[in-house]
Amino acid sequence: MSEPAQTLVLRSPRDNVDLVHGFLERLWVAHADIGELDRMAFETALIELVSNVIEHADTGHGVTCVIGVTVSATTLVANLSDTADAGEIQVVGRLMPSVAAESGRGIALVQMLVDDLQYERVGEKNLWSMSRNRVE
Amino acid sequence: MEFHTELLPEGIVAIAGEGRLNMVSAPELRAVVEKEIGAGHTRVVVDLSEIEFIDSSGLGALVGCLKGARQAGGDLRIAGPNKQVTMVLQLSNLDRVLKSYGTAGDAYRE
Repeated sequence: MSEPAQTLVLRSPRDNVDLVHGFLERLWVAHADIGELDRMAFETALIELVSNVIEHADTGHGVTCVIGVTVSATTLVANLSDTADAGEIQVVGRLMPSVAAESGRGIALVQMLVDDLQYERVGEKNLWSMSRNRVE
Repeated sequence: MEFHTELLPEGIVAIAGEGRLNMVSAPELRAVVEKEIGAGHTRVVVDLSEIEFIDSSGLGALVGCLKGARQAGGDLRIAGPNKQVTMVLQLSNLDRVLKSYGTAGDAYRE
């Protein structure tokens, strides 16, 4: 059984990713059974995804991003909905750039840390979904 | 984030921050390291022992700072990464180029 999703609304540029860290900190306290590796991996992936929205999707008008996280006995799921323009976003098969690169690692890291990553453009919104199968 | 700078023996500079090295604080780290390299302190160790979380922006800053230090004839090493930092360094293969040491004082003791 999954509990109802915990929801956070982030408005950039007013808010930044520190808001997401605080949101997850509270979630981890409420779910002390989630293992360290799962917490670390999920938090890293979610921060990368939200950073990507803030950094690359904002065309100067600000972005509102609604983040819902659902915890079940077997999975950690995040659903994101943002109001940014549609970008040329490739979420599948992103390779880790060379060690000399100073950017471009975000989505590649997300892919390595979760079991499923989806993106679709629906109406005026970008919808993201990522799911990690708990190992602990 | 506020970064603290400490000059160690033999012209080594240790730069330490506390908290999260992400898209908010990564540009600040770049600025601090660039300033030290500009002042001739090209042997840099970034003390990560109080960094609780790093993301790809933080990784990018470390790579940029490493390049800057090497171009100036020096190097950049890291010290005290926690489990999350170590995980991200390994996934991105950056553990191959960013040498990690237990403490800042150990980084150039060879």
